[in-house]
Amino acid sequence: MIRLENIDTYYGTSHVIQGLSLHVEAGAAVSILGRNGVGKTTTLRSIMGLTPPKAGKVFINGLPVRGWPPHRIAGLGVAYVPAERHIFPDLTVEENLKLAEARSDQPGAWTLERVYEYFPVLGERRRSGGTKLSGGEQQMLAIGRALMGNPSIMLLDEPSQGLSPILVAKVAQIVSELCKEHGITLLLVEQNFRIALAMAGRHYLMGTKSKIQGEVSSAEIIKDQELIKRTLAV
Amino acid sequence: MGWIATTVDIILNSLVLGGIFLIMGVGLNIIYGLNRVMNLAHGALYALGAYFGYTLVAVGANYFLALLLAPIVVGAVGLIIERVLISPMRKRHMIYTLILTYGLMFVIDGLIKLFWGQETRFIQLPEFMQHTVSVGPASYPVFRLVILIGIAAVVTALMLLLGRTRLGINMRAASSIPEMVSACGINVRRVQISAFVLGCILAGTAGMLAGPLFTVFALMGHDILISSFVVVVIGGLGSLRGAVLAALLVGFVQTLAEFFVTEMAMVMVYMLMALVLVFKPLGILGEGKFE
Ligand SMILES: Nc1ncnc2c1ncn2[C@@H]1O[C@H](COP(=O)(O)OP(=O)(O)OP(=O)(O)O)[C@@H](O)[C@H]1O
Ligand SMILES: [Mg+2]
Repeated sequence: MIRLENIDTYYGTSHVIQGLSLHVEAGAAVSILGRNGVGKTTTLRSIMGLTPPKAGKVFINGLPVRGWPPHRIAGLGVAYVPAERHIFPDLTVEENLKLAEARSDQPGAWTLERVYEYFPVLGERRRSGGTKLSGGEQQMLAIGRALMGNPSIMLLDEPSQGLSPILVAKVAQIVSELCKEHGITLLLVEQNFRIALAMAGRHYLMGTKSKIQGEVSSAEIIKDQELIKRTLAV
Repeated sequence: MGWIATTVDIILNSLVLGGIFLIMGVGLNIIYGLNRVMNLAHGALYALGAYFGYTLVAVGANYFLALLLAPIVVGAVGLIIERVLISPMRKRHMIYTLILTYGLMFVIDGLIKLFWGQETRFIQLPEFMQHTVSVGPASYPVFRLVILIGIAAVVTALMLLLGRTRLGINMRAASSIPEMVSACGINVRRVQISAFVLGCILAGTAGMLAGPLFTVFALMGHDILISSFVVVVIGGLGSLRGAVLAALLVGFVQTLAEFFVTEMAMVMVYMLMALVLVFKPLGILGEGKFE
């Protein structure tokens, strides 16, 4: 469960997130749709504690976490997959995964073997440098790395970025199934509303300075294709 | 001495000198790579390692025991330096820690003179290390061979630490994307502190290995600091492999120059640096990723 109440986030003096509130129920898949530069990435960074909000409240599974360092927020089971992937260049594929390993004894905990079962290509290239992989493989590695932390919440930033349409569809399908199967709460950021429709059931439409212009369900978008365009003027 | 013997002698001396540079240069790079701190007190910590070792031997410890213990004490000093001086400056520009560690160098130099005085000290070596052995046609001092083995052991241990351990993985990751390391659930500050302490331990180890080579004196860290910087610059700032290559190269050039043109030895080293920088402004393996 994620709940943001009236948060304000800055880069230096630039006030990027202004009084943003949103919530994602446990087990749900929700997206944030919006144009370039409205603050979608910064919203995820605010939740993760990477750019901590200066005011407002951030709740993860009911715990107030504003001001917590990122590693403690990750420790609550929050995983972050940035749009740039941020694969560690000096680490092999396997080391990239191992780094994030939460090493839990609980049944169903993610292990290297289980990630390789899901993404066989990562197993085949386990000894390659992480950034030697293709864009699609790096996206899978970034998702696999997120899974190694046994997340209950996944923050996924523009999975479609830099991937071919076929790959995008594949990644979207894998992530959706994963989240459903393992009860992972998904907060997705996208510019491509088709991907968002495929992956999430509810969508926040974000305008400039992170102002929420509307909140729609996938069904509503499918019924009225112009809805997003009208609201966001994309 | 025949030319073969001379060649063997020069090669072994180059490896010893290059090895000391290597341990220093890699230490500087590890500290810089994870903390963005150019540690100007690195030479002073090297001297501190040698003096701690000297005292340990003077009160009855064996050289090898001192070689293990002295760097740990330097590491503890490094931890205090990190907590008290470096940590509060973390969010500031690099220039702050540059000036702080520059001042720290003089403080440590002063403390060394205060506690150990001005005169040169000699680390008492075990009996067997005071002889020479024949290496092919050359006869070579045993203690230099032992130091060479010590250097190899340190390099091996470091490779295992960085290559095989969780801390090593975390350090390599945090040298490029520290933020992502913390998003993966790791306390990246702790990794950065560990890297600082590791660098200091390496400086202390280098000092303790170099003590018997160059004797122990208060300003022994000054020349080595300059040479280590040359190594870091030639190898490429932040590149560990670059530092290894550069250290061996500088060790070789300096040893060769000392043999043929003694007074010009350091000049030759600077000329080497200038030459490398003309063709490779970021150093041999520098990627400029830390600028
Ligand atoms: N590190 C930074 N320093 C200063 N300003 C920044 C920084 N990162 C982003 N910004 C600014 O903050 C605003 C929000 O950026 P953010 O990356 O959150 O937008 P976004 O919605 O994710 O955009 P995109 O679709 O391009 O990824 C933008 O105006 C951007 O220029
Ligand atoms: Mg973005």
